[in-house]
Amino acid sequence: MSELRTSSIETRGKPGLKRYAMVIDLRRCIGCDACMTACKAEFDVPLGVFRTWVPYKVVGVYPTVRKHFMPRLCNHCDDPPCVRSCPVGATYKVEDGGFVLQHYDRCIGCKACMASCPYNARFMLPKSRTYTDITHVVDKCTFCHHRVTQGLAPACVVTCIGRARIFGDINDPSSEVSKLVSTLPTQVLRPEEGTKPHVFYIGVDRNLSEPSRAIYNPLDVLEEDRRAFNKNHKG
Amino acid sequence: MGDFNIFHHMPWSSTYSIYFFVIGISSALFFFSMLSWFRQEFEPLRKSAFYVSFALMVVGGLLLIVDLSQPLRFLNMLNPSYLNFTSPLAWGGMNLLSFGAVSAAYYWMMRKNDETDSRRLAVLGSILALGLPVYTGFDLTVHQNRPVWNTPLMPILFVAMSLLSGAAVASFLAGTHEKLLAMLRRFMLWSAGAVGVMLVSLLGTTAYGGVGQELTFMFMTTGTLGTIFIGVGMLLGTAAPIALLLAPFGKQQQGMMIAAVLILVGGMALRYSILVGGQIVQTYF
Repeated sequence: MSELRTSSIETRGKPGLKRYAMVIDLRRCIGCDACMTACKAEFDVPLGVFRTWVPYKVVGVYPTVRKHFMPRLCNHCDDPPCVRSCPVGATYKVEDGGFVLQHYDRCIGCKACMASCPYNARFMLPKSRTYTDITHVVDKCTFCHHRVTQGLAPACVVTCIGRARIFGDINDPSSEVSKLVSTLPTQVLRPEEGTKPHVFYIGVDRNLSEPSRAIYNPLDVLEEDRRAFNKNHKG
Repeated sequence: MGDFNIFHHMPWSSTYSIYFFVIGISSALFFFSMLSWFRQEFEPLRKSAFYVSFALMVVGGLLLIVDLSQPLRFLNMLNPSYLNFTSPLAWGGMNLLSFGAVSAAYYWMMRKNDETDSRRLAVLGSILALGLPVYTGFDLTVHQNRPVWNTPLMPILFVAMSLLSGAAVASFLAGTHEKLLAMLRRFMLWSAGAVGVMLVSLLGTTAYGGVGQELTFMFMTTGTLGTIFIGVGMLLGTAAPIALLLAPFGKQQQGMMIAAVLILVGGMALRYSILVGGQIVQTYF
């Protein structure tokens, strides 16, 4: 794996270091949004923003149609653009584990990390929150760092009813994620960006995971939703 | 995804485009003030261009700070143990601060009538002023996932746009000095030409790019953004001033003033549409 490493920050395949990854088996996802809910509960994620979310696309031809779900979250890239774009080092990568995390007390809110993330995984917290005083700084999925370091799996993984989300150390050849990635065809999002994402998808169709011409001429009803969302949630 | 139930924002709002605009003008005006020490025809601009440059630098700095979600934490940018030098923003912050410091020293030396030190500071300040549009271009270029932004053209385009807008503002400060106006007309013509060539090149590479680029091209050439980018930015703000400045009327002060107004309106439109254009498609992903 060492030949893949282009930056000193990358830890995949480095001996003695853990490199956590998630495999999302889309054949098993039923779009119940339990992962979103568990994440919201775990972190008191405010309304309108998400650490993990489950967009869908309706595919097929009526009457044979189905919803294609694609759970999304921070990809905890091995070479994360958000880390290098943060001017004050508020975003950092944990060497042992590969978690990409945030120093909330250091973040100045310039949103350079949001601009640099190819996955839209980052968001601005609102100015006031009910249960926590971490406000108006950039936030994101942590791969449940606080749980994983206690030997627990991330909240979204534990709650997934179809076991569509599998989590583990990809540097450990005996881990389930390692076996899945090495034995099944998997796909990461936007591999061409060079970020080396560590969320692997089984069964993703790139025609569905990439922006399509449909966004240039979206359905009116979706645009209405979008306008309403933007009106109520200013970045 | 084509269908969606979660929406995303553009991280960088139009405040940034106003910042790009004012800081570009500020750096070009400082450059013209520096030229006054070496070219006689620029002498009438020495003080006036510097004052406007300084004022715009302050406005630009305040815009940057106000746009932060934690404005008081801009002080973190001054903490050497926090600074991350892989980020163009860190370099930009230092560039802006040192430009401010050199500008203040330049003002002080001019007041003391210390010609030697004023010249030295003018040259130093101009190098730092050049860094401002360069770093703003890099700010966009480094985002590899952003169509339009992720091109090596961006820093050079911002330098050309800075000279163009700066020359337009300087032409208002030039009064009736014919030689100076003739020089500024040349600056406007050449920098507008350079901006035009780069914009056509940018459109070409965007149109022939991948999925994201192609969609961005469609957004930037049609609808409201198309009107702003192509209509106001390229045609009204770049092509029309070139035509006007080349015409006999464009050699007169009145013609230059009209061209300068068009350039300023177009300069703002271009910066806005480039900033927004690079973010639209991503909001659907």
